Amino acid sequence: MTSQVQTLEALQAQRTSIWTLSKRRLALRIFGIAVMLIYSAFTIFPFYILFVRTFVATADAGELHLWLPKARPVDMNTEVGNLSVFYNLDLKEMKQALGIPKGKFLGARETLAEIAKKYNIPEERIKSYFEGFYLFNGWQTLLFGQAGGSNFWAALIRTILIAFVSLGILIVLSILTGYGLAGLRRRDQMYVYNLYLLQMVIPAMLIILPQYQMFQWFFKLFPGYDVQNSFMRHALQLLAVILINIKGTALSTMIFVSAISGIPRDLEESAMLDGAGRWQYIRHILFPLLKVPIVSLTVIQLPLFYNQFLEPYVYLDPANTTLLPFIANTAGQFSTNFQVIYSGVFASILPLLVVYLIFRRFFVEGVMAGAIKG
Amino acid sequence: MQVAATKPPSGVTFQGPTVPKTTALGRRRILEDWKFILPQLFFFVILNIVPLFVAIPILLTDMSQFNDPLVNYVGLRNFVALFTDRAVQEDYLPAFQRTIIFVALNYTTVYIFGLTLALLMYEIGFRGGFFTVIYLPLMVSGLAVGYMASMLFAKETGSANLLLMRLGLLKEPINIYTATGTALLLPLMVGWRYAGYNMAIFLSGLLSIPKETIESAVVDGASYWQRLTRIYFPQMWPSFILATTMCLIGSWAVFDELVALGALYVNPNARFLSVLFFIYGFQVERLSMGMTLALETFLPLMLVGIALQRLQRRLQY
Repeated sequence: MTSQVQTLEALQAQRTSIWTLSKRRLALRIFGIAVMLIYSAFTIFPFYILFVRTFVATADAGELHLWLPKARPVDMNTEVGNLSVFYNLDLKEMKQALGIPKGKFLGARETLAEIAKKYNIPEERIKSYFEGFYLFNGWQTLLFGQAGGSNFWAALIRTILIAFVSLGILIVLSILTGYGLAGLRRRDQMYVYNLYLLQMVIPAMLIILPQYQMFQWFFKLFPGYDVQNSFMRHALQLLAVILINIKGTALSTMIFVSAISGIPRDLEESAMLDGAGRWQYIRHILFPLLKVPIVSLTVIQLPLFYNQFLEPYVYLDPANTTLLPFIANTAGQFSTNFQVIYSGVFASILPLLVVYLIFRRFFVEGVMAGAIKG
Repeated sequence: MQVAATKPPSGVTFQGPTVPKTTALGRRRILEDWKFILPQLFFFVILNIVPLFVAIPILLTDMSQFNDPLVNYVGLRNFVALFTDRAVQEDYLPAFQRTIIFVALNYTTVYIFGLTLALLMYEIGFRGGFFTVIYLPLMVSGLAVGYMASMLFAKETGSANLLLMRLGLLKEPINIYTATGTALLLPLMVGWRYAGYNMAIFLSGLLSIPKETIESAVVDGASYWQRLTRIYFPQMWPSFILATTMCLIGSWAVFDELVALGALYVNPNARFLSVLFFIYGFQVERLSMGMTLALETFLPLMLVGIALQRLQRRLQY
């Protein structure tokens, strides 16, 4: 059976030139490619629209925009109140930039023209201040603004930190588990393996409530936890998310158990005869042989860690949060400004998308290898 | 180190002699194995298994929030609340209805997107470019999928709405924030997101079919439909079961997408079961009730999941 199983390479190689195909198979293939092309367009469409919408002002959201909109001319009759509701115009900053005295209060219904007259500011200066405002205010508010006491960059750094630390530890621990369980020859190994398989059928939503309770008991052991914004509190919260991430999954166990079971025992025995300990064997012989399963686990887990929402949302303070809860907070705070929300969503997708496109070959191969394991 | 350079022949599974348990050597081997198993198993058991047992005493109390100072024993009241308590029923039953419709529709998208794409991909010979594009949405978080759904299908401002109306395909705009809108469009978006994943599962099932079988069927003049029903599907059972398990567990616990649609605060139409448990636990101080409802909902599901896993393994070996 194993020798006959097809591989991706074989399937690709079997792709004969279209000129040698029979008419019926040619029709089938053309049909298949056409459907694939249409579906690919269908897949890309939301990404493209999202990108366009990050530049569409909320006031124009009711119109169809399929291409990047042109910058609107600055309308001097716009009311300041509307600008701050729909565009999150920072009035303080505007006053400073236009040289309006600090003590002066701007009424919500005052138009730009009225302000220009009142404070003797040349129209050109106001227009140049608002140049590009409609196009880029989403990105500006997102990248330089705050939500829930955190900003975009800090949230991104925390996300990357959690993702990579979790991934590294998960891989090491899973290799050790796979090595300890390799072969599944004994009853105790089988029990442990089946326990890990349970993870696949236990929804995170079922255990999050008691798990949160347990972490509250654990946090109580550290006196610094109750102090708002203390380093101890933030570090413990990040630790909780990392611990949840490294606890091992059905997939990580299956991947490494089957990979290590496929490596002949003779290899270990001869290493032992040469005087290597078990740790040395794992480090120098097993680890280099496990490149494929490591890539496989990485490409499946990295998006899951990067896109983790429930656990960070529950465990992390808004001032200490990762990217997705930050985007949710932003969307809550600027709920009237779609441009900021969509900029946030697009910015949250972009880093992983770039990684995916650069390493797409590894993703395709790793995912297929992982899918075969189940 | 030279040994390491030679890769073992693929597909070779070492069938060594079983280590007898009673010998000193065998016992040492077991102990050593456990040294490697324990570090991760410790975290796994504490964080994934123990919470299930920690929950049990809480279920029998009226604990209203985490760190509740006043906890009274109430017996099985929480368990029967689902069948007797009006207020709980009014929360639970609509959420249950929404969830089950979502699960059913989402399960059909597994086949409409995943299986169809896998069959096409198999037929045109594997093409990495298409795979890359189809797998792309899996890089998007559930939260972002929810926001994208509202970007495309919000009543006044949805881009897909505006486009379809411009093309004359739609008279009235679809509204994702209504009950019907959520029920129909969310499975579409979630199916779109998981299409690449399901395609990979089915494609690996197709690849495990011996090529000779397919070729001889083609030579014997089997039509494509005959090949599907007589050769492909009967040999893809493990893939079907895996896709079913993943979809079932995943869609019952769908949460992130709903948060993006405002389920936690403003949009009661997106209040599915998992959102209800979250609200009970973290927002409205009905913690023990939320845990009980979660257990009553997910326990049958877990049993089904375990049964499916066993079935899959029996079919694979």
